[in-house]
Amino acid sequence: MRQLFNKAKALLLLVAFCGMSGTLLAQRTVTGTVTSATDGTTLPSVTIRLKGSGEGTTTGLDGNYRIQVPGPDAVLVFSFIGFIDQEIAVGSRAVIDVIMEENVKALEEVVVIGYGTTTQKDATGSLTSITKEDFNQGNIVTPENLLNGRVAGLTVNTGGEPGAGSVIRIRGGASLGASNDPLIVINGLPIDNNTIGGSRSVLSSINPNEIESFTVLKDASATAIYGSRASNGVIIITTKEAGRDFQLNLNTQIGVNTLASKLDVFTADEFRQVVNEQRPDLADRLGDANTDWQDAIYQTGLTNNVNLSAQGLLAGVPTRVSFGRSGQEGLRLTSKFERYTGTLNLSPTFFEGHLKINLNANGTVENNRFANGVEGAAMTFDPTQPIYSSEQPFGGFYQYYNDNGDGTLDRNDLLANAPFNPVAELLQRENSSSVHRYYGNMKFDYNFHMLPELTAVLNLGLDHQQAWGHSIVSRENPTSQPDGSFKGSASNYTNQQSNALLDGYMVYARSIGNLNTETTAGYSYQRFQSGNYNSGELRNDLESSEPITNIDTDLVLIGLFARTNISFEDKYLLTLSYRRDGTSRFSPENRWGNFPAAAFAWKISENFFPESQTISQLKLRLGWGITGQQDIGRGNADLFLPRYGEGISTSQYQFGNQVITVGVPQFRNENLKWEETSTYNVAVDYGFLSDRVTGSVEVFHKESRDLLANAAISDGSNFSNSGFQNIGNFISQGIEFTINSDILTNSEGFNWNVNFNTTLLRTEIKSLALDEDQLVGGIGGGTGGTIQIHRPGYAPFSFYVYKQLYDETGAPVEGAYADLNGDNIINNADRYIFEKGAPDLTLGFMNNMSYRGFDLSFNLRASFGNYIYNNVNSSRAQYNLLENNTVLGNLPTSVTASGFTTTEDVILSDYYMENGSFIRMDNATLGYTFDKLFSDKLNVRLFAGGQNLFVLSEYTGLDPEVFNNGIDNTIYPRPRTVYGGLNVRF
Amino acid sequence: MKILRFTNIALITGALFTSACFNDLNVTPGDPNTFLADDFYDSPEAYRQGLAGVYANLSLTGTEGAGSSNIQGLDAGTSQYGRGLWNLQELTADEVIWTWENDPGVRELNRNTWNADNVLLRGMFGRAMTSVAFANEYLRQTADAILDERGVSGTLREEIVTYRAEARFLRALSYYHMMDLFGKAPFVTEANPVGAYQANQYNRAELFEFIETELLEILPDMEAPLANEYARADQATAWMLLAKIYLNAEVYIGQARYDDCIAMCENILDAGFELTPNYLHNFMADNDVSAARNEIIFPIVSDGITTQNYGPTTLMVNGQVGSKETNGNDFGVAAGGWGGALRVTRQFSEIFLNGTYDNDVRNTLITDDRTIEVTDISNNGTGYVIGKWSNLRSDLSAGNDQTFVDTDFPMFRLADVHLMYAEAHLRGGGGTLDRATTLFNDLRTRAGNANTIAPADLTLNLVLQERLVELHWEAHRRQDLIRFGRYTGSAYNWSWKGNVVSGIGIPTFRAVFPLPTASLAANPNLTQNTGY
Repeated sequence: MRQLFNKAKALLLLVAFCGMSGTLLAQRTVTGTVTSATDGTTLPSVTIRLKGSGEGTTTGLDGNYRIQVPGPDAVLVFSFIGFIDQEIAVGSRAVIDVIMEENVKALEEVVVIGYGTTTQKDATGSLTSITKEDFNQGNIVTPENLLNGRVAGLTVNTGGEPGAGSVIRIRGGASLGASNDPLIVINGLPIDNNTIGGSRSVLSSINPNEIESFTVLKDASATAIYGSRASNGVIIITTKEAGRDFQLNLNTQIGVNTLASKLDVFTADEFRQVVNEQRPDLADRLGDANTDWQDAIYQTGLTNNVNLSAQGLLAGVPTRVSFGRSGQEGLRLTSKFERYTGTLNLSPTFFEGHLKINLNANGTVENNRFANGVEGAAMTFDPTQPIYSSEQPFGGFYQYYNDNGDGTLDRNDLLANAPFNPVAELLQRENSSSVHRYYGNMKFDYNFHMLPELTAVLNLGLDHQQAWGHSIVSRENPTSQPDGSFKGSASNYTNQQSNALLDGYMVYARSIGNLNTETTAGYSYQRFQSGNYNSGELRNDLESSEPITNIDTDLVLIGLFARTNISFEDKYLLTLSYRRDGTSRFSPENRWGNFPAAAFAWKISENFFPESQTISQLKLRLGWGITGQQDIGRGNADLFLPRYGEGISTSQYQFGNQVITVGVPQFRNENLKWEETSTYNVAVDYGFLSDRVTGSVEVFHKESRDLLANAAISDGSNFSNSGFQNIGNFISQGIEFTINSDILTNSEGFNWNVNFNTTLLRTEIKSLALDEDQLVGGIGGGTGGTIQIHRPGYAPFSFYVYKQLYDETGAPVEGAYADLNGDNIINNADRYIFEKGAPDLTLGFMNNMSYRGFDLSFNLRASFGNYIYNNVNSSRAQYNLLENNTVLGNLPTSVTASGFTTTEDVILSDYYMENGSFIRMDNATLGYTFDKLFSDKLNVRLFAGGQNLFVLSEYTGLDPEVFNNGIDNTIYPRPRTVYGGLNVRF
Repeated sequence: MKILRFTNIALITGALFTSACFNDLNVTPGDPNTFLADDFYDSPEAYRQGLAGVYANLSLTGTEGAGSSNIQGLDAGTSQYGRGLWNLQELTADEVIWTWENDPGVRELNRNTWNADNVLLRGMFGRAMTSVAFANEYLRQTADAILDERGVSGTLREEIVTYRAEARFLRALSYYHMMDLFGKAPFVTEANPVGAYQANQYNRAELFEFIETELLEILPDMEAPLANEYARADQATAWMLLAKIYLNAEVYIGQARYDDCIAMCENILDAGFELTPNYLHNFMADNDVSAARNEIIFPIVSDGITTQNYGPTTLMVNGQVGSKETNGNDFGVAAGGWGGALRVTRQFSEIFLNGTYDNDVRNTLITDDRTIEVTDISNNGTGYVIGKWSNLRSDLSAGNDQTFVDTDFPMFRLADVHLMYAEAHLRGGGGTLDRATTLFNDLRTRAGNANTIAPADLTLNLVLQERLVELHWEAHRRQDLIRFGRYTGSAYNWSWKGNVVSGIGIPTFRAVFPLPTASLAANPNLTQNTGY
């Protein structure tokens, strides 16, 4: 990408001066070598232009060049990406050796965008680039956490599991029923947003140490070049590229994961007291033990990361290889994540730099052991029962066992409907997987010999994943087969997923006077394939446990795209882009969509304060565009086709004694089409005090039309009562503010930089088909209950609850709800909308300080206005649940506050709504760097820090950062990690 | 190694490019179990499979196991056809209460406070209309023109005539349920397109006429009684459905059609069906092959291995297991069952305890350590439980699976015809009192109850009581109470009717259910029932 940028910029400048060129004089030859001021190595591919003409060349692999010049007045311009341009008058010299200085600032400015690059200064769209120097520090396992809290409008919510995936949202997402995940592009290859079964997440197999930069594209003018997949924003990941100078890096880190907090349930002694008070009739079920089941299911885990990389010239080809290993033990007993990554990057150039090839090859092995979510069981399991029992036949674990004396040990020897020991559930179950992933791309970048304004790029990409997994339950565990017998359980699965990409495009750059233009046009083809196999239960031979193979219908996406950038006097910038996309998901009549975008930027400071240091930068940006969405899940790739599905082995019908494989027509919608989002974006980028203070303010308005949503369909007209349709409108709007300030720069060795961003976001459903509400937000407790609603005029996933009535002392009256519609009947019609799970305001703050060899960084994130339905309490904190069928059940201590007895009477009450606003310190790291240790080339940095250090919140549950749009029904707790490590650079 | 791999990748991708044209956007289903309609009907066996698919909608919620569903808006398992029917006919009446009121929609059915947002109502509305859609699709795929095009001929072509009649029967059956429960339905036939067609609304009179005409029309194409394979409809099944609409005609269309009802009952009574000697065998795991096969006129099939579902029999066998008794093993399921999900009302128990049924196998009440009144719905120790349903076979061996029962749900069975005849006779439909009395007594005798009655003792009230005793939990009760004028109003109040323990009256409009909000929204041609 960088070469491409370089090329384009070179061409721009080259053409810019052609108008001023004089007549050609007598030719003579100048030669020389270009080297880097930093390390003295020769620089290949440096562009050398004859100022004022269209002539030019580049240095070869050895850094040498040769160029014809007209005479002594000739001026040569040397430019190379990441280095400061140099203009040198030829004079009478025949040999001109040039030493080029690195331009750190310029390096940072390069921003990778869709099918090209730009600079932050010339960007017209809303995009934020975070490069490796600015990444979050700490115990970071998955790449997205490198930028969590760093980008206005971007939220990352990561689970507590080792290697856990994240819910990533850019500007809150744009869809109701389709995916809200942003498009993730790795080195030009858009990856599949569906996690392969057996893997933790789409990004968990990617080593964060290999990432050079992220560009987050937020508004349509930046994303529309990705057309049909751009509605939720785009995250472009660029991995590290080989350099010419030899370098060896070793990063290693080790840490300890500990449990930060537990849910409040009664201790054994408190529990005895509660049972004796509330249900003395059940007191004979109490045991003698004192068990804290939450302590029993968790462990203190180790985490470690090692990364080793080397780069340099290998047979003249810039080469980079790296190897990484990451090991994480989760908090839940047995939970584990292990990842090995290997990467190879080759970036050779041919034909004197005209052809550049960049090969990225990555191989990953991800090994997981998953631990079941036993938090609920641990909370409710009777604390007066022991964890272990040597007298029982369950491998040393205690279970609710009641030998019925019939000589066989089976389900009938257990107390009916009693829960299983949660510790045994973890230790007697092995649910493991291994995922192999190969991904990478090969990019050919050819600058035409005859026509230097023109560059052709071909990018081929492949992402192939294969997972193998198995789940084995010990024969000593009381898991029963359908006939009630105890044999444990065993099954295995394999999953495959791949996508192949071909992008080809041409870039034409030309300058006429003060007008610079760059035009890109191309074609993109991508095919997604996936399938899976599950063995079914292997410990019985019933027909109901036959293996099942599923193969998803291929998904093919084809796009034609074009973009032109026009800049006038380097003050006025205009970007126009257009993409026409086809998807195999829709019928031939509906499958093509057009996605135009336009953006205009005006560098106001160039007009009004060209020389000002105080106002060093002021740029106004206006953007508009239409983007699309078609991702309604991998299993919905062919809804427009008339399909028949045959029943699996347990879904057959019988005529007489004959079992018939049923054939059932499937829901179909031939009219499905793109969901479209129009985005308007207005922004001001500013820089004060010679850019010591920089940032931007953005205002955006997004409106999604023809939302793809699963909604009711006229009964009897289709093979379901509901299905995907294009219904409704959805609006989201917000304000983003970013400020980045170098408070102190090298003042007596002290550097202090802070970065702050905040986003105010408001979303609203504008209309749904026929104004029909949709009940969403499934909850625990009962079968199929919901607590949220989509209703026009409100935010999506608004909570839909009954209004709790309170007595004069302020205590809630059990089962008493306000009769809001006054019909004297309390039913669904009396539910009302109370807040939503999404925050109104999110903030991110990053602080970096360094003093001589020391560096200190910490970051904070905050979220306000997000509400939580405390499903942990609503489904568990009622006294009736002391009796759990034949045994006792523990309760959250919050039951003493409500005094509620009957779950059914209170579960949908707004009593369980809580404000989930929080401030959280994700990380603090202190480091010390030994510069030039032992030799000039050796750098060593030692560091130590903590992850997930504190959370400030009024929320009474475990952690206010929940998933499921604000429904908290236990989560995998996020560990608190203390770590230390070492970076060695040679 | 890696380089090698990526060279391959480059080659593969390059090859892709050469073949990559816009035609690649034309994909076909990749799954081995999914076919394009024309490919599916390529095989002769498909016509039978397609018909089985229409039938299966009574039992299966989806093609991918008991937890899958092709309709939405409610829990997948709960969307089962028979279960929806059962919930609406039973939970809303005096025979049973569902303990777990945090299951959405249940509370309002238990307490007669439902409104148009109730998910269980939406489930039944959608499930029944999906049956109509499946039947229509089958009729489209077996239309003469299409069969000619596909070259279907010979025996198969003849069989398809019967298949089509059965598909039309199933469509009529669903319209009957719509007519009974909702009082109206969007009227869709095979002539309408698949997609989002907004059908016109048929009211009860229009539906009644359609069902009657349709059934009479298909009768000649149907198999003779008991001549068809078990679980497929035959002429007797069509007669039974006709008998049902005639018996309830006063409710549906305000006209007495008891004479027609008697005629249909006579057809069935003379068709060769027999009461199984042991009443309880009708409700056991092998009721598809035991003597019950000759009593069951039309079942919804269940099987613990091949036809798993959360339908009425799985629900009742697991649900009737008492929380205190943990007696699931007596019924061939896990000891705890579903933790005491189902209990009967005080009024139900009082009938069985009125002295007439002390020695009667139909009386399966378990009363020890329990109160007769369900004082607290969430307290599953209050109220009596019963043991009518079982996943044991008639030889007392257990069914295949300890959760998914093998027991078929007898939607129509001969004993019902006995009582329908008696009732229709008493309501002036003709026939003879002697035959009515004999039919009535047959049921008591079969149940081992010596309290047979004289013709003079046969009254409508007794018939209603006997219907509870004989047919409880078989999804007839709400319809029966409405026909006897005891459902709405205050003529008869049972526990929790109107959301009061002792029961209070409910308004007349609750004799039909509201059209689901979602269904109204999706089809503006539908109008809401009065009162909702």
